[in-house]
Amino acid sequence: MTTTTTRPVLTLRLRPWLGSMTLAISAVALVMALVWAPPDAVQGEVARVMYVHVPSAWLAYLAFVVVFIASVAWLWTRAPWTDAVAVASAEIGVLFTGLTLVQGSIWAKPTWGVWWTWEPRLLTTAAMFVMYVGYLLARGLSTDFERRATRAAVLGVVFVVDVPIVHLSVLWLNSLHQLPTVLRAGGGPSLDDRMLATLLVSVVAGTLIYAWLLSERTALELARQARILRERL
Amino acid sequence: MEPSAALRGVTVVLDDRAILRGIDLDLGPGLTILRGANGSGKTTLLRAVAGLTPLSRGTRATSEPPLLVSHRTALLRALTARENLAFFTTYRGIAAAHVDQALARWGLAADADRPLERLSAGQRRRAALARLDAEDARIALLDEPFSELDAEGTQLVAEALARWTAERRIVLVATHGHSELDRAAARVLAVVDASVRQQ
Amino acid sequence: MIVAVRRSLRRALLVAGRDLTVERRQPDGLVAALTFTVTLIFVESLAVGPVEARRPVIAAALFWIALLFAAILGATRSLERELEDDALDGILLLAGGRDALFAGKTLALAATLGIVALAGGSLALVLFDLTVALPFHLVLGVALGVIALPPVVVLDTLLALRLRARALLVPILALPVLVPQLVAATQGTAAALSGDAAASLGWSGMLLAFAIAYTGIGLTIVPAAIE
Repeated sequence: MTTTTTRPVLTLRLRPWLGSMTLAISAVALVMALVWAPPDAVQGEVARVMYVHVPSAWLAYLAFVVVFIASVAWLWTRAPWTDAVAVASAEIGVLFTGLTLVQGSIWAKPTWGVWWTWEPRLLTTAAMFVMYVGYLLARGLSTDFERRATRAAVLGVVFVVDVPIVHLSVLWLNSLHQLPTVLRAGGGPSLDDRMLATLLVSVVAGTLIYAWLLSERTALELARQARILRERL
Repeated sequence: MEPSAALRGVTVVLDDRAILRGIDLDLGPGLTILRGANGSGKTTLLRAVAGLTPLSRGTRATSEPPLLVSHRTALLRALTARENLAFFTTYRGIAAAHVDQALARWGLAADADRPLERLSAGQRRRAALARLDAEDARIALLDEPFSELDAEGTQLVAEALARWTAERRIVLVATHGHSELDRAAARVLAVVDASVRQQ
Repeated sequence: MIVAVRRSLRRALLVAGRDLTVERRQPDGLVAALTFTVTLIFVESLAVGPVEARRPVIAAALFWIALLFAAILGATRSLERELEDDALDGILLLAGGRDALFAGKTLALAATLGIVALAGGSLALVLFDLTVALPFHLVLGVALGVIALPPVVVLDTLLALRLRARALLVPILALPVLVPQLVAATQGTAAALSGDAAASLGWSGMLLAFAIAYTGIGLTIVPAAIE
């Protein structure tokens, strides 16, 4: 009736080129963002915050969607490496959600005149941040490997609902925040070509940073799991 | 069809400590006695068979959901014995008359409509055991069924064990006393060093 | 398919009925939730002052915040009862018991919360001296709010049940998830109070969508969520 099998840990080979490539593309993105791209017609130089703000927000989404996929995989297969990916991605997601909020504040002060305001995107992003802090807290409070992984996986599935809510919250109420710039219904992106190119390179760099952090953190978690799983048998 | 319950290569880990390791267990109709020192893992084994504890490794198969009566009654204190038992029989689609019969058999007819919290610990335990009759459970897992019972209650449990065994039910009893049960038992097992041994 | 749905519903109602019987006999959960809600509404209204508390959106927010905490209180109390004597194990061993537990507890909490909302809402109307522009919309919005909160609260309570720090963890897990519901319920109630029919219905629809979504997620995930 019930089948649960803990499989031996999957060894993840670290890719040495991932780190160097991430560094290289990040450097290119930095130059493009600070020098090559023109200042915004309305906001001026301040708009350059966009080149870190948008990738950060995108990474937060990506990280939590990966948590969701890894969580479903854990509930399905009970393979320990899925839980390692979930915790790694959740931590990175919390980091980037936090960064997104801080960058958003820095951008908001000169453009909207306030650090923080009642606005659906801000509200739901902050809620998402607290949510995944709660996820990490629930992991920390659990006492053994399987229970921690299962409890976390349930949260990973329930919380992912917030990702589309955050993204669509801008449409949800009339709001200060800019509408989605790149991904939106009807018509292409609404940006200058050079700005758009810079933004896309920044997003690629961000995604590589994510992949790199994820592989490092997952490897760390796998080593920790291997110790726990070995010690207890 | 005869009831069956089995564990295959089961390892149970609680708080990152292996309580049971590589257990293979086949339970057939009749009485099986499970012995073992305090903290040896008897209760965990019963919970593993019941499906109440996640298995770190291995599989579990039962012909129907087992009924576990552990140290605690698994009944709500605010409800009466009748209400508690009727909830389970209604859920399983069993006639309500079974509840009355079972309560009478376990000497609870007079107190069937008092909330459990007003009854003694021994009476609460009888109510928990009466579930096995009311629901006609084909797989019965009993953890120290004699605790808290008086002489009459102990006698009732002994009779019930004989009756259920005669009805070809699976009866697994974890206990460290009552060596007289060994004579009636089809098998006597012991949990030693996180594994199950035949005695 | 239909037979299975009807059977599941019957089982859920059975668990809900069992819960409400206990609540009727020992109404400590309901009394705690009611007392808490009434006290909170009272204290909040004193804190913000008479003029502010009469503004529809403030009054609605005070009401829903109180109700949200009442929901957490009610769910915690109901499941703590199940932990005494391990009554929970009895349900978990039943076929389909985990689904029935989640659905039954959610229904029972919605019923309890309905009573709390009726009492707390009446008090708020009198205390804040509110005029209701659209009574029907108000009742609809509150009713949908009352069914939108329990699925998330019950799921999180079940998940944290065996942890020592559950009193701390349940609000931390539930509140951020319930932010959209809280906003929708507050705005919807405020719209009904001030007479904006379209807005009230829009927010009510959103509450209904959240209620359905989280009930669905709960039923899908709950077998894994309970130890």
